[in-house]
Amino acid sequence: MRLAALSEDVLTKVLPVPATHTGAMVKLLTCGSVDDGKSTLIGRLLWDSSAVTQDQQAAVLHASHNRAVNGERIDFSLLLDGLQAEREQGITIDIAWRYFETPNRRFVIIDAPGHEQYTRNMATGASHADIAILLVDARHGAKRQTRRHAAICDLVGIKKVVLAVNKMDLIGWSEPHFRTIEEEFRKLALSFGFTEIVTIPVAALTGDNVARRSSTMAWYDGPTLLDYLEEVEPRAEPLDAPFRMPVQLVLRASGDFRGYAGTVTSGTIRPGDRIVDARSGLGTTVRRIATMDGDLASAGKGDAVTLVLDTDLDISRGAVLSEVPRRPINADVLEARLVWLDETSFDPEMGYLLRTATDLTPVTSMSVQALIDFESLAATPAHACAVNDIADCRILLGRSTALDLFRDLPATGNFVLVSAIDGATVAGGVITWAQSGAPSVGDNVFVLDRALLARGLCSDLGDSPTDRAEFHRRAQEAAILLRSVGVPVLVEI
Amino acid sequence: MTALTSHLKLLEAESIHIFREAAAQFRSPVLLYSIGKDSTVLLHLARKAFWPAKPPFPLLHIDTTWKFHDMIAFRDRTVRDLGLDLIVHTNHEGLARGINPFDHPPSVYTNIMKTQGLRQALDAGGFDAAFGGARRDEEASRAKERVFSFRAAGHRWEPRRQRPEMWTLLNGRLGKGETVRIFPLSNWTEGDVWRYIAQEKLDVVPLYFAAMRKVVERDGQLIMVDDDRMQFLPGEQPVMRKVRFRTLGCWPLTAAIASDAADLDAIIEETLKAKVSERAGRLIDHDQAGAMEMKKREGYF
Repeated sequence: MRLAALSEDVLTKVLPVPATHTGAMVKLLTCGSVDDGKSTLIGRLLWDSSAVTQDQQAAVLHASHNRAVNGERIDFSLLLDGLQAEREQGITIDIAWRYFETPNRRFVIIDAPGHEQYTRNMATGASHADIAILLVDARHGAKRQTRRHAAICDLVGIKKVVLAVNKMDLIGWSEPHFRTIEEEFRKLALSFGFTEIVTIPVAALTGDNVARRSSTMAWYDGPTLLDYLEEVEPRAEPLDAPFRMPVQLVLRASGDFRGYAGTVTSGTIRPGDRIVDARSGLGTTVRRIATMDGDLASAGKGDAVTLVLDTDLDISRGAVLSEVPRRPINADVLEARLVWLDETSFDPEMGYLLRTATDLTPVTSMSVQALIDFESLAATPAHACAVNDIADCRILLGRSTALDLFRDLPATGNFVLVSAIDGATVAGGVITWAQSGAPSVGDNVFVLDRALLARGLCSDLGDSPTDRAEFHRRAQEAAILLRSVGVPVLVEI
Repeated sequence: MTALTSHLKLLEAESIHIFREAAAQFRSPVLLYSIGKDSTVLLHLARKAFWPAKPPFPLLHIDTTWKFHDMIAFRDRTVRDLGLDLIVHTNHEGLARGINPFDHPPSVYTNIMKTQGLRQALDAGGFDAAFGGARRDEEASRAKERVFSFRAAGHRWEPRRQRPEMWTLLNGRLGKGETVRIFPLSNWTEGDVWRYIAQEKLDVVPLYFAAMRKVVERDGQLIMVDDDRMQFLPGEQPVMRKVRFRTLGCWPLTAAIASDAADLDAIIEETLKAKVSERAGRLIDHDQAGAMEMKKREGYF
């Protein structure tokens, strides 16, 4: 059957079907607190669905025998923990990517580490996933790290979550116990934007309800994990989403060829459509959608194409091409929720760059408004933010850039924050509010200077390092507030 | 369109996106071209990413002088037909010391002729980014790689300190002394590579197709006698067997498999049903525990 798919008639190249059409590929994340059995669950899933080759099986059997951590049983986590340090310490440090396919679809499994220390790797994995399998140990229920992982899944845009209540064998396969955990999780999940939560009682070590229906938990009549994964629709995309294509490169070739190369992040485009560069407001018409396989009649979300325009726009990498009616925001002030990934905490004095789809914009100032409390999951006022925190921030940019709100268009509404000093990715975030601020600095600019601030807003502050930092923070904050209502501001302190 | 052809289209678009991000962000990239099926797909995707322009970077082949003769012929023909720039580098220091795959353990030979050779070539060319055809499904430590895989000074991979890589946002800003390896085929599987080769009608080295070839059986592995540098062990007699290769490397260290798969359809069927993993035929991976991770830490791609 697979071979038939390769025959000539099926492989017509120019098909007006976008690359992300259908549930052909489902990306799964496994996450949850340390020792709740993530790697074991995935190892079991791969083992039971015959995605493990004989030599890999032999290697795992051999290593399990040496470690004997699970008594006589096979140590399935060895299939995932590919780094020497992971095998030595029996923990997962970085995400592992595994692939397997059933006749219907390709599964990409991203196994995330549970340790708080490796949250940055979990966040990396989560951002690539359509569906999260969140594990809890049936003996303990959701822990602080489980809630943190759930919050990160929510932040990066995951809508469907499987709560896998693992190690059911260790609580005597008890339904009341399972129902309590399920109820608690549904309550805490109200803080998030998940659209579908499925709860499955499993035992990864024995394989109950993973790929094989459990005979010991007859009270459970829902799907097994594999059944669910085979059926689930990965992501619902609105059919009428507005067209966006962030420009990656301007391609030039002989014969005066000039094209704008990029991946369509939402909507569709056809030759003859009017488009606009969101930043400059310049508009034109699409003449061709050029690819090496010939021109396309249309391109949609996920397609990597090159647009040839009727009149060349003076734009380069970082521009976002858009449909005319529903354009991105040409923003220089924004609010965002982000997860801090770097071991060095947020420092308002540091230089940061905002990396959006293809643009890199200097951050003029940034302030933390609130942190998520991983006990209550509420946002609580704060001014600092450190590694593994989820924070709400306000960011002022050195120049405007084209953005969307993440909840509307995720691919043009997300960003990473980059250290201007060493290039490190220090945070990943989503835009919750954005506004185009003042026009470029001119005669009407309001100057926030030291004397002005010292008279009022900062009159309680002295000359200690702490007070000076607070002085600076308030100045930036005042500037952001003023700019957000359209007053052009220059900070001179 | 079936589910499977649609996922190939997704993978293709993702790889093109990666090529373009890299070309836009790095000063001087190079494509590590090792002639095999993965390199063939990698090169094809690079051409698509920049078409109608040519890929804005040269190809680099690390020639250990022990590649199959068919591979070198295929390499030269491909580069000529497509009008591409190719840099061929050999670690002449290693060659002068007589390093070879028969007299030295695979780990020593690979380190000197491949890893050191690669580091020499990257340093000499001043390249800050190198594309490679590695896939995450190949091996357990590769399953842990980022798409933009940063290397500290000396090309060292530090698996415990990988840079976060969220969504499709590829941050290519380099710290002091850093370079990057880029893996556009990260999410492809061996099956995908073959299905794509069939779909795009790409030429591959004939050694991938089953044919009668002169081999010896050694420790359960079939080693092809590619030229008269072969060192036979006492009692070893070459025999003609119908074999093909699942991966291609240095001929004394790359085992063939007994197979009748003589065309792409047969290869795809065989691949999807395979009961052993692809790199089982790579003798260099089994020399020591965690061999691939060690090679990568030393700078192997």
